Amino acid sequence: MIEARELTKRYGDLTAVDSVSFEIQRGEVVGFLGVNGAGKTTTMRMLTGFLPATDGTALIAGHDIFGEPLAARRAVGYLPEAPPLYPEMDVEGYLAYVAALKDVPRGARREAVERAVTRCGLSEVRRRVIGNLSKGFRQRVGLAQAIVHEPPVLILDEPTVGLDPTQIREIRSLIAELASPREGETQQAVILSTHILPEVEAICRRVILIHEGRKVVDGSVEALTSEYGTLDQMFARHTYAAEPTGAPAREGGAQT
Amino acid sequence: MRHLPAIAGRELRSLFVSPVAYVVLSLYAVLAGFFFLLALLQYSEWTLYLQAVGAADQLASLNLNDTLIWPFLSLMSVVLLFLVPGITMGLFASEKANGTDELLLTSPLTIWEIVLGKYLAAAGLVLLLVFLAGLFPALLFWKGDPELGKTASGLIGLALVGLGYAAVGAFASSVTRNQFIAFALSFVLLLLLWMLSVLAAIQPAMGALGGAGSWVVDLLRYLSTEEHFQRLGEGLVDTQDLAYFAVLIGVFVLLTKASVESVRWR
Ligand SMILES: Nc1ncnc2c1ncn2[C@@H]1O[C@H](COP(=O)(O)OP(=O)(O)O)[C@@H](O)[C@H]1O
Ligand SMILES: [Mg+2]
Repeated sequence: MIEARELTKRYGDLTAVDSVSFEIQRGEVVGFLGVNGAGKTTTMRMLTGFLPATDGTALIAGHDIFGEPLAARRAVGYLPEAPPLYPEMDVEGYLAYVAALKDVPRGARREAVERAVTRCGLSEVRRRVIGNLSKGFRQRVGLAQAIVHEPPVLILDEPTVGLDPTQIREIRSLIAELASPREGETQQAVILSTHILPEVEAICRRVILIHEGRKVVDGSVEALTSEYGTLDQMFARHTYAAEPTGAPAREGGAQT
Repeated sequence: MRHLPAIAGRELRSLFVSPVAYVVLSLYAVLAGFFFLLALLQYSEWTLYLQAVGAADQLASLNLNDTLIWPFLSLMSVVLLFLVPGITMGLFASEKANGTDELLLTSPLTIWEIVLGKYLAAAGLVLLLVFLAGLFPALLFWKGDPELGKTASGLIGLALVGLGYAAVGAFASSVTRNQFIAFALSFVLLLLLWMLSVLAAIQPAMGALGGAGSWVVDLLRYLSTEEHFQRLGEGLVDTQDLAYFAVLIGVFVLLTKASVESVRWR
């Protein structure tokens, strides 16, 4: 569903993303790991067509992001680092607007909004103005706009950042639920970026770790845990390579 | 272009949800009423004066269009100079400030749909303003006998001025994420555009630039919005003037498109 082919992004002299390749299938939930500044957001912005790659390309649901940009973008649901919300709109109006932008046929929009509202637990705030919602609800609205057109590919950039522990738990279980669809719902390929390891353990079965723009690890959580002992050690090994193994857990590192 | 209604509709709704549309509309209506009254009083005072001194010739040449409606429309075009930047300042700047540009640019939309959708929304509000202004001269048909053609071409001129200003304002909004900067920039650009005619009209300035007939003065005159608007106000509907507004709008809409696109290629 997602195929990154040597994606590269340079900002002047800085290579923010350096020849990153990977493939993600339907039904996979992949944790995209890396310290702050590793290049996660830049990679996701290239996959979604927000930023052009300096080099390389990607296929989204079989559509090249350069060759068929509209078809590729139609297949993506994207939650940016800051949820793209209009504070003056109400939740339903906003989701209907996004559905129109994402080419949900007019007749199917009401149903699409209804489904997104239900799945993201927004029923009680559906007529509220987004600007008056709590941060947790706003994040849910952000998720709802990403799934309103039922895209085969879901790209979530730090979906739990800035939330309190209760909200984090809710959003995580929501993502886990989105990843394991019920009867009649299609499977999605999900990639979510984070630097919080328990988040990965909670909802992902596969991990891609990037460091300084390069992909350094790509494997199943299970295999990596048995290879390194814990994900935390795997993370520490590759992101603080100069230090001896067993370096103290840094920001975002999980307690082992 | 099938996304145009969604984009234009959201933009209009946001203008009417925020106080922007109401502030602009009521300000314009109040100023229009004030200036119209002023023009009316001046007209009657002038009539009385000419009657008192018995200047029959001048009295005969006095007409509602040139002595009342045109000065009024001309003032209303100056008001647009201040209000249109208020309408357009948020078009693109607020998307960037909200982070919603990331939604627009990752949706299956073309840049043209985004730019034209937003321009249409701003244009809609501008036309509403011109409609409001047009109600006042329309009153004159009730009691007086202004020329319909001249009045209509003046109003069309005012509408074209407003639409041109909206294109300039849209461009200013597309180059920044700060609405106040967008307002200031479009105001400065519009002021320059407007001042060209003042400059071209000042004799010493014209002299310094080679006098009337020199190509610099001709160019300044041609570029000035006021110059073309005035001819429409005189009832002269010339393709050259219409083309001027079409080019003004076209150039700034194109610049806006390039500027929105450049975000993607930066
Ligand atoms: N617009 C930009 N201009 C210049 N450098 C940038 C820009 N955006 C990101 N970077 C740099 O690229 C690197 C990767 O950033 P980012 O992808 O945001 O990392 P992450 O999301 O993993 O925290 C960082 O060093 C960041 O400073
Ligand atoms: Mg990031």
